[in-house]
Amino acid sequence: MKNIDSLLSDDLIKAKIPGETSGIEIKKTICSICNPTTHCGIDAYVRNGTVIKVEGSLNHPHNEGTLCCKGAASRQYIYHPERIKAPLRKKGDGKSGLFEAIDWDSALDDIASRLQKIKVDSGPEAVVFFAGYSKWMRPFLQRLAHLFGTPNYCSESSTCFFATLISSMLTYGDMGGPDVEHARCLMMWSANPMHSETPDARHLMDAKQNGMKIIEVGPFLTPMSRLADLHLRLRPGTSGALALGMANIIIQENLHDLAFVSKWSYGFDAFKTYAAEFTPSVTSQITNVPAGLIIKAARLYATTKPAAMYNGASATVHHTNGVQNHRAIVTLIGLTGNFDCKGGNKVISPSYCHVPAGFVTREAEFEHPCPWDGMAPRAGHDRFPIWSAVVNEAQAMHVPTQIDTGVPYPIRAMVAFGLNYRMWPGSDHMQASLKKLDFLVDVDLFMTDSAKLADIVLPAASSFERSEMKIWPERYAMWTQPVIAPIGQSRSDIDIICDLADRLNLNDPLLSQGHEACMDWIMAPIGLKMAELKVSPQGRFIENQPLTPYLKYEKDGFATPTGKMEFTSSLLAEAGLDPLPRYMEPAISPVSTPHIAEKYPLVLTTGARLPMFIHSRTFRLPWNRMIRPDPKLDLNPLDARSRQISHNDWVQLETPRASIKVRANITEITPPGVVNMYHAFPGADVNLLIEPDYLDPISGYPGFKSLLCQINKTDNIDKECLCGHN
Amino acid sequence: MRTQLAFSFDASRCSGCYACVVACQDQNDSDIAFRRVVPCEQGHYEHALISFFSLACFHCGDAPCVMVCPTGALFRDENNGIVHLNRDICVGCHSCILACPFGAPHFSADGKMVKCDLCYMRINHGMAPACVRVCPTRALGFGTTEEIGAEKAGKAGQLLIKHVLPGN
Repeated sequence: MKNIDSLLSDDLIKAKIPGETSGIEIKKTICSICNPTTHCGIDAYVRNGTVIKVEGSLNHPHNEGTLCCKGAASRQYIYHPERIKAPLRKKGDGKSGLFEAIDWDSALDDIASRLQKIKVDSGPEAVVFFAGYSKWMRPFLQRLAHLFGTPNYCSESSTCFFATLISSMLTYGDMGGPDVEHARCLMMWSANPMHSETPDARHLMDAKQNGMKIIEVGPFLTPMSRLADLHLRLRPGTSGALALGMANIIIQENLHDLAFVSKWSYGFDAFKTYAAEFTPSVTSQITNVPAGLIIKAARLYATTKPAAMYNGASATVHHTNGVQNHRAIVTLIGLTGNFDCKGGNKVISPSYCHVPAGFVTREAEFEHPCPWDGMAPRAGHDRFPIWSAVVNEAQAMHVPTQIDTGVPYPIRAMVAFGLNYRMWPGSDHMQASLKKLDFLVDVDLFMTDSAKLADIVLPAASSFERSEMKIWPERYAMWTQPVIAPIGQSRSDIDIICDLADRLNLNDPLLSQGHEACMDWIMAPIGLKMAELKVSPQGRFIENQPLTPYLKYEKDGFATPTGKMEFTSSLLAEAGLDPLPRYMEPAISPVSTPHIAEKYPLVLTTGARLPMFIHSRTFRLPWNRMIRPDPKLDLNPLDARSRQISHNDWVQLETPRASIKVRANITEITPPGVVNMYHAFPGADVNLLIEPDYLDPISGYPGFKSLLCQINKTDNIDKECLCGHN
Repeated sequence: MRTQLAFSFDASRCSGCYACVVACQDQNDSDIAFRRVVPCEQGHYEHALISFFSLACFHCGDAPCVMVCPTGALFRDENNGIVHLNRDICVGCHSCILACPFGAPHFSADGKMVKCDLCYMRINHGMAPACVRVCPTRALGFGTTEEIGAEKAGKAGQLLIKHVLPGN
């Protein structure tokens, strides 16, 4: 018979009330499931060395006690039965596809010796180092790659965000983020932060409640649409035309910032002449947005002062004309005098791992210890000269081509952290290319389809099981401590990298000192020492740094060849490309390929965000997967009716290249004529439907978001769930 | 005067992110989610809109489930109005799910009912219910009905005053 005290403690344990009686302790950590600006502060409820609950940390300035549904499911991520528990090596000749567990020393020594052999036989450039999500280990992996001697460090940024950055760099020499706190009007262009950046959501809603106007641009209904004053539901791929149409209205009605344009811009006359081609009626014809709405939006954005623009990380550059589309879009910022002003788009320098906290660290120096001319040219260097000029990574979209052709030199091996071959368009092509490698190493938490291709798989620790130095835009920093022991023999990615550097005899004075010492070195310009940060496990503000001023260009000019905002880009002209933000139809569209549209009449866009998934992550977490167990595309009721498709019917989604079977979600989310298919669903890889060379020639980015397709009801009406893991 | 604890929900702020659903599952170690998020589409292109509603148990003041429960397993706490379930005497007859207008009762593997209990233990220890705490848009809240009402009146009064008597 239990006594009162133990009954009480049972109740407290069941209700997960922290304290001495229950033996539940709150330990501070972070979630790192999504993008680096976000990573929410977490209170891990720990009892007997196990996390029994997670909660957002109230005092963390970024998420203020909140989480998304993925972070809330952290325990299913950390404790998933399929976590890789030991280093694994392919058995025998690898043909069986089976793995055997080995110890860390054997694994790392094997990797080091095989890499050294390839280096001797074919040069260090034959080895590619690749970083998937999360980004936390990237500066270390990049340093390792270059010290090893290869220029071929590349990452998932080959399809995300960097092209957006390139577009801004070409125009302004820099990039500004929306100063939401002070904006009176916000133009949200192809972004869905309610589902992709939940810490932003309440700030946007609060600003709306305080009277901020919202213009939403994007084909889909989002949770923001109800709050938007205007919603421009354009045809996917036509953002460039819409932006030029808006610019034209602004210029014709003399709503542009004449002082800024005349003093601080280059190429305005050529831009004005070109934009004049995009009359409201021409623009409406191209974009499917009513002319009256385009005019209203242009006027609202141009006349509300100050106005800011909120761009998605990559939606507008996931097109064959992506960079030029996005250049047209960001041109509107300077045209209306909203660049780097209060309430406009403010330039805040990225401090560490892309987080814009405004102070500069030694990250760039750390990750790039060797000059480019001391190494072979990067993969894709000549094919994507603008990418190579602006970005300090190789363009990973070219890697399968170089593996296949061996031109200008063979690529024989890859060391990857979080590889997902399905990220590449025509993903089966990347899978086939990877199989040609002599040696593949993948570090991951789970045996993904990509890990299955590897010769050696190393188990990574989650953010709960390792230490990490993390900075947020609020100028908040944490040095996290593990809140639980690593699962099995999993290790911190950075520890793996430092260990590998040691076994490769790189004799690097920094990597050999380990993670903490390197972070001290990187943070030296702001005097931040890890030993001091450790004293505050919940994190603390970095207070001794000057605030970022507005209107920096008035003092320093623009970091472009002309020193001004460039309507016509000098770098593009130099590379023999069109200097104007020229609008071109997507390479596959109802207008550019009417012959394809005969058989594939619907515009297909892929890769939009669902709140419970991020790329290929979290499909194996039951609490997230049960929200949408089966792959589903969004189809407008009109398009469904004409095909006699009912809600939840299984359908074939087909392009000229391939088809996949998915359910139809009949919904107003997508407009008539547009199909929206979500990527990364196990068993329904939409990237199979895209040609491997369907890329933006400037950035190398795949045209994920403007394609053509057809949908047919399948005869097969069984309710089979395609549940499975990636 | 009766104290009644309740959830507050601002539908204009719900983004359909499902954090509340999963936070409840994490709190209760339950594969069954006691909270549901329902998308609602209105109108057609070009005038369509989407919104979302999050609902769990409403802890009704005159709860139909309490009325129909044949064993008395369902009962109200007279101090705070929370509708509790005594699983020891629940027989899993499903009468409650017939009576509840909101779909709050669920049934677990043992055949007995499970549902939201307003995280009353957390409330007793000064914490918010798990779903309220996690909500990134602060659409969900909780308190006594008096507190909820007073807050809403306060906000509405402020907004109205600003329209009727704009400041300088």
